[in-house]
Amino acid sequence: MIGPRTYGPRLIGGLAFGVLAVFFVIPLIFMIVVSFYQPDPMGFYKVDFVWENYGKFFSSFYYTVSFRSLYSAALGAVLVVALAFPLVLFVSDLSRRMQLFWIILLLSLMCLSEVIIGFAWLILMSESAGLPRLLEWVGLWKNPRSLSPSFGAMMIGLVFLGFSIVSLILYPSVSRRDRNIEEAAVTLGTPPALVFYKILIPTFRTSLVSVTLTMFVYLLGVFVMPTMLGRPKDWTMTVIISDKALGDANLPLGAALAVVMLIVTVLVLIVSALLTRRRAT
Amino acid sequence: MRNLYLWFIATMLIAPFVVVLGVSMGESKNIAFPPDALSSAWYSELLTEAEWLAAIGRSMLIAVCAAMISTVLALAINYVLWRTKSGFAKATFALGLGPFLLPPIILALGASLFWAEVGWYGRMEATIISHGVFFMTLPLVIIARGFAALTDEVIEAAQMMGATPAQVFQTVVFPLVAPYVFTGFALVAIISVNEYLIANMISGFVVETLPIKIFNNVRYGYSPVVAAASMLFVALTVTILLVLSRITDLVALFGTSKDT
Repeated sequence: MIGPRTYGPRLIGGLAFGVLAVFFVIPLIFMIVVSFYQPDPMGFYKVDFVWENYGKFFSSFYYTVSFRSLYSAALGAVLVVALAFPLVLFVSDLSRRMQLFWIILLLSLMCLSEVIIGFAWLILMSESAGLPRLLEWVGLWKNPRSLSPSFGAMMIGLVFLGFSIVSLILYPSVSRRDRNIEEAAVTLGTPPALVFYKILIPTFRTSLVSVTLTMFVYLLGVFVMPTMLGRPKDWTMTVIISDKALGDANLPLGAALAVVMLIVTVLVLIVSALLTRRRAT
Repeated sequence: MRNLYLWFIATMLIAPFVVVLGVSMGESKNIAFPPDALSSAWYSELLTEAEWLAAIGRSMLIAVCAAMISTVLALAINYVLWRTKSGFAKATFALGLGPFLLPPIILALGASLFWAEVGWYGRMEATIISHGVFFMTLPLVIIARGFAALTDEVIEAAQMMGATPAQVFQTVVFPLVAPYVFTGFALVAIISVNEYLIANMISGFVVETLPIKIFNNVRYGYSPVVAAASMLFVALTVTILLVLSRITDLVALFGTSKDT
């Protein structure tokens, strides 16, 4: 498009790449290196090459924790997508003004701190304010107790967090979909529920699967919700990693757990990429 | 049925914040909703106490600088990709998508170890740079839409008039992609202000941002000031997005309508 012998773009490109490499890639590599170091109770770590940090992962406690967090992330991801997909479908047929309202609402929620959302739900579930008190007032619950911390409270928090992200990821493709088939089906007298199961779900199957996987990875990484709304036994891998690294100052163990998580994440991403590619070809 | 569902979800999404608003305006020191008596005491405490003000100031500074880094990087990568279409540029673009795909704890721990090794632990610059680099994915993708919307004719016209690449960028390309750049900037700033985990892992004990302060307050016995601080956040976030919706067409940015 523009004269071939210009060094400007190369220089800019090289600089940008360099910044990413130094501040994004090198920290990750360094984390992998640290995961082989020897923990040092007095300070950070001793340079070494040991497998014992990974060995600890396979001891029962971390095993259980990681399975538990896989379970809650998977359940959360499915719930989020099941709730968000119909919403996005409905919103995409609204007037432009209402669409803008929903986009601003969802964007605000996506940007809003986990800390604040967690705090809001904490209040909503507490004895003196929110749901328990509402139920008492209505007369459904005689002696209200706080609903958190519990597994259910944590799941509500996770679903709330993921909801806006999934909606915004699905929104572009849903709002641009070809509406002819649906309209034809409706004209021929197909009930809306059947249109949803027979036409819309199959059309978006690949993107629904890939967004579920994205959400799964995202929920594996959530930190605030489990600590605020969940019981210690509901804690996810993220909380354990941070607890080991900051609380116990055992950085090599924290790093090893993070590497395991990184491997799981990359595997999920590869599966997701393969699924979308198969569709494309 | 459709409207019922929309109302149900909207209520669920908004309800928590109505309750927080109620708590923040209540008079009682204990969390209670609905509040017994209204008072603005918690807001004045938030805006007069030095510790809260310092946290607010730090968060804002970090957010603006990080957004600057993010958008400059995203703009640079997109510009190079648009001009050269080289494999290297594509690879850089793909690398820029990485931070969004990984769980934040991994980025946070990596950055924390890295900065400790470099000797910048506890410096605000470390938080700024990491936020700037990790949150660049959003502006990267948004600015890419801006470049995709550029038509060749305007560029060719400018070249025919003898504009150098720098002049083309300054007078044609930048003004056309500016709304996207601005949107990306604003989104990174909002996300950075709200971010807890990465800021906390990098130097949470020293550089206490607003979310860190709120989290610590909630964990170790809270007062309604936290509710007031949260509402400040909500107001700030919604205001910025409303301003953005005036500048760029958010509906078109997030999902193109049929008539394009």
